[in-house]
Amino acid sequence: MTTSPRRSATRVSVALASTLLTASTLSGCGVFGSPDLVIYNAQHEQLLDELVPLFEEESGLDVELRHGKDLEMANQITEEGEDSPADVFLTENSPAMTIVDNAGLFTELPEAVTATIPDDYVPADRTWTGFLARSTVAMYNTDTMTEADMPASILDFADPEWEGRVAFSPTGADFQAIVSAVLELEGEEATRTWLEGLEANGVIVQNNLVVMQSVDSGEVDAGIAYHYYWYRDREENGTDSDTSALHFFGDQDPGAFLSISGAGILASSEKQAEAEEFLTWLTGTEAQQAMAESYALEYPLNPDASLNPEVKPFGELEPPQVDVSSLNGPQVTDLMTEAGLL
Amino acid sequence: MSSLTITGVTRSFGSTRAVDDVTLEVPHGSFTTVLGPSGCGKTTLLRLIAGFLVPESGTIAFGSTVVAGDGVRPMPPQTRRVGYVPQEGALFPHLDVAANIAFGLPRDERGTTGEDRVAEMLDLVELPRDFRDRRPDELSGGQQQRVALARSLAPAPAVVLLDEPFSSLDAGLRGSTARAVRRALQATNTTALLVTHDQNEALSLADQVAVMRGGRLVQSAPPSEVYLSPSDPQVAEFVGRAVVLPGTARGTRATCALGEVVLTAPAEGDVALMVRPEQVFVDLAHAEGVRGTVEEVSYYGHDCAVQVRLDEGTSVLARMAGVRHPVAGDPVHLRVTGLVRAYTSAGLP
Amino acid sequence: MALLALVPLAYVASYVVIIGPVDLWQLVARPRIAELLRNTVTLAVACMAATAVLGVALAVLVERTDLPGRRLWHGLLVAPLAVPAFVNGYAWVSLDRSINGFGGAFLVVTLSYYPLVYLPVVAMLRRLDPALEESAWSLGHSRTRTFRTVVLPQLRPALLGGALLVGLHLLAEFGALSLLRFPTFTTAIYDQYGSTFNGAAATAMAGVLVLLCLVLLLAELRLRGDRRYARVGRGAARSAVPLALGTWRWPLVATVGAVVVLAIGVPAFSLVRWLLVGTSTEFPLGELAQALVSTVVLALAGAVATTLAAIPVVWLAVRHRGWASTVIERSTYVANALPGIVVGLALVVASLRLVPVVYQTAGLLVAAYAILFLPRAVVTVRAGLEQAPVVLDDVAHGLGLGPLATARRVTLPLIAPSLGAGAALVFLAISTELTATLMLSPIGTSTLATEFWSASSELRYGAAAPYALLLVLVSIPATVLLMRTDSPATTAAVEERVPA
Repeated sequence: MTTSPRRSATRVSVALASTLLTASTLSGCGVFGSPDLVIYNAQHEQLLDELVPLFEEESGLDVELRHGKDLEMANQITEEGEDSPADVFLTENSPAMTIVDNAGLFTELPEAVTATIPDDYVPADRTWTGFLARSTVAMYNTDTMTEADMPASILDFADPEWEGRVAFSPTGADFQAIVSAVLELEGEEATRTWLEGLEANGVIVQNNLVVMQSVDSGEVDAGIAYHYYWYRDREENGTDSDTSALHFFGDQDPGAFLSISGAGILASSEKQAEAEEFLTWLTGTEAQQAMAESYALEYPLNPDASLNPEVKPFGELEPPQVDVSSLNGPQVTDLMTEAGLL
Repeated sequence: MSSLTITGVTRSFGSTRAVDDVTLEVPHGSFTTVLGPSGCGKTTLLRLIAGFLVPESGTIAFGSTVVAGDGVRPMPPQTRRVGYVPQEGALFPHLDVAANIAFGLPRDERGTTGEDRVAEMLDLVELPRDFRDRRPDELSGGQQQRVALARSLAPAPAVVLLDEPFSSLDAGLRGSTARAVRRALQATNTTALLVTHDQNEALSLADQVAVMRGGRLVQSAPPSEVYLSPSDPQVAEFVGRAVVLPGTARGTRATCALGEVVLTAPAEGDVALMVRPEQVFVDLAHAEGVRGTVEEVSYYGHDCAVQVRLDEGTSVLARMAGVRHPVAGDPVHLRVTGLVRAYTSAGLP
Repeated sequence: MALLALVPLAYVASYVVIIGPVDLWQLVARPRIAELLRNTVTLAVACMAATAVLGVALAVLVERTDLPGRRLWHGLLVAPLAVPAFVNGYAWVSLDRSINGFGGAFLVVTLSYYPLVYLPVVAMLRRLDPALEESAWSLGHSRTRTFRTVVLPQLRPALLGGALLVGLHLLAEFGALSLLRFPTFTTAIYDQYGSTFNGAAATAMAGVLVLLCLVLLLAELRLRGDRRYARVGRGAARSAVPLALGTWRWPLVATVGAVVVLAIGVPAFSLVRWLLVGTSTEFPLGELAQALVSTVVLALAGAVATTLAAIPVVWLAVRHRGWASTVIERSTYVANALPGIVVGLALVVASLRLVPVVYQTAGLLVAAYAILFLPRAVVTVRAGLEQAPVVLDDVAHGLGLGPLATARRVTLPLIAPSLGAGAALVFLAISTELTATLMLSPIGTSTLATEFWSASSELRYGAAAPYALLLVLVSIPATVLLMRTDSPATTAAVEERVPA
């Protein structure tokens, strides 16, 4: 008599049971135990993947990272509200911090946490702290352009002469932070005009790495990005930076905007002590120096840490004065959507 | 004693009464066929008995147990102990013959005792025992039907229900499979109800034939009675061939297009007369009887059917045995032999 | 289950209501939407046409001619199914950055998706009764005319079904088009989401996308027409006499070879090159293993859950036909019209507001997979259940089995192959799912697709290569299953012609 159907049915149910079992352990993180600290990280994944093990070793704490993008995660935390699993939020740029701050979801940081960071990079109410900075730059192709061909202001890229010649990545939080600085410094009308000009002139690419590649390959003459992409490539193998150079706008131009990466602790977190321990460590000299020496080449904000001298010194950037807590993300998104960039 | 009693059962689909006030008794150990054209409600009746459908009114009883009916919670199919043999057998394609036959046995009997039962059942339906390991798609249609019967008989059911079980078989196979099925049912003394639209099947297999038409049971009787004494002219025409002619009756005699005939029972006035073709004698040699001309001859070997146009215009069918037969265009004379049934109130066809 | 499938649709609909008609109009009637619409429609139409031509031509060459090495070609032509479209996109763009925009997207997507037409057409060709062709032939029609008048019309359902699949896949495609820098609604929704998370503009775009999907579904229904195609027998006993190619033989071999080189050779070459020479190439065994395990576990759990969920839907649709069961079955397709990102977002919002405990659990992610891929399981399981006639249940009841015992001993064994095929299809889809996984995965869980994505979007092509390789390896078993044209999944594609 044929018994194969019954045997295969048994096999199926065994497979089923074991699958569900694995799934349930996975869902509950039962095997690994729940982490001591959950960080929502919108800074570069690679940087935190290098940094966090150092902290884990030193503190003995078990840290879980969830990676995402600035505004996505800021809005996600806002949506999560009191139920947010996050203890700490790290961003690439400050507008995302402002969204969470405006929702009242950050807790005020103890003075000890921000002691090593200059006041310019910490909001007055100390709801979060800056921990890294990056400078806006223009890149240009050295075969087709010289430093003298570059405009004095980033606003000039909206001029018709740049049609089809300038690359940027409007979907990235980096560019959106730059727009928020233009908005803060020049006002809504000027920003709208500038965005419309860029929409007409610009070559839209998917991120800043592609901006750099497009400039270096001569596909476009210039591109808007942050400084470290070019320096990182120089450090590594230079294949995407050997026919390009950086143009720093300086002179308090919006194009010299210094964007601040922020760190904050969620008020809903039940791990306040651990979160404070992490932030104190993050702003402390050791971690700041570690970041300075990493692949990242972003500017550490703790004055005791020093960056590779190849990178243009922090003191020579001449950035415009912008209140770190004032940059408005949602309005930028609306303006960019209006301009057809999103 | 009745194995199955159906009393006043009615079941509708929408506004159509598929089964309309049917009453039928099936004696224990008998073979009853339900005969009717497609759409007459016979399959619905079968599904009501099996329990796949619930009657709106009336009762169904197995022996003395009422399984469905007024005020009784209908017993689900799986507890009724009916064997069900659908059209085309419907063997479980994922199981071999042995597993199919043993399917309805209780779990503890499916083992070694099941093996014996399977062998017994294969013997019963006259299939070789080494068929036990075959898959359904390795069997012919007739073999599948036998296995399906064996499967339904294995748990020793109270009643076996067969739904047009031979309709998909070709003519040669149909007869032999049907006879094997009847022998198996007789050997186990199992009560069986078979639904069919094939009158030959109905008449040749059954102890009792129940004729259905338009949802109603119009006659239920032994095969010979249904044939010889159909309850109305339509039954007559459905069960076998019939010549139905208008006539005028006076006592035990009546006159019609075929001349004067003798009636089975006295009647008066306008009647419909039912003559079986084999009662119409075709005389090729003598000018005795009603004259007509042969229109068409269908030759069957053992006999032939002769369509004759009477001189007065009526066309009648005659059936004749023998080696000599007429050809189209021949003049013949017709006479009616034996007794003729007269229907008084029934409408003429 | 059907209710769960409606969550994303309800989310989009309620959001659209909240936005209000005035703001909604402002969000929809703008140049960016027009541009996206143009891009999306052009690419969809071009790719559907190209895959249809390519799929039918290749199927006919392999099935009905004396092309040398037909069996080998068949295997090679189905193989692109094991290469996720975004891996294919990565392979091309990392070889040559000029492969981008419409041209690049058209090339890569066509090469990735043509098997969706090829497979059902091959299956249909194998099942056509050669007697039809032979009778046309004997009526004096030439071979080519017979093909045009007798064979092609019969291929129509398989061709339309396949093309519809290509269209629906394309509308929801994110990874490949993002890498190839060709913005469509789905990539734009993703960009909006990156900037606003739960934003009105993204939802408005999702609404337009749903409408596009509905247009596609209706167009297919209309094109298919009311014409009934005689049900072809299962596996014709004889195969048709192959058409002699004559002098065309070798040029056509070269053509088929070129397709294989482009569809399989280039990705393989690119992948191997990055594995060997990429500067960022590394083999972090721990992370690779972790991503592999979570991918397989999630895909298995999702495949089981989705297939189980499909059973009652199919049961109702097949055994209790009626408008209610049809609505339930069809509603699962409508939800499928939404890209993973919208489904993910809807579940984030719904879970946070209704059942916060399930937020960021594997359970919720599995639910998202079930919503996204339920139609694939439904199509396949449905084909299986239709092979299990209800009369077998009647017989089992008559033999004393209750409903549960009947399901266990009759129905389940009969539909087991189709359950397996459905689960394999869903497994394949989940293991390459990106956007919903990014959004809903439990903290600390990464899959091959998410790790691949994070490396390739940072242009660390070498680092992405090992993940791409594992993705291809994980996809192979399910692809092999699909390669058998008599598999329930392919049968379903031919007979049901509904979107997966």
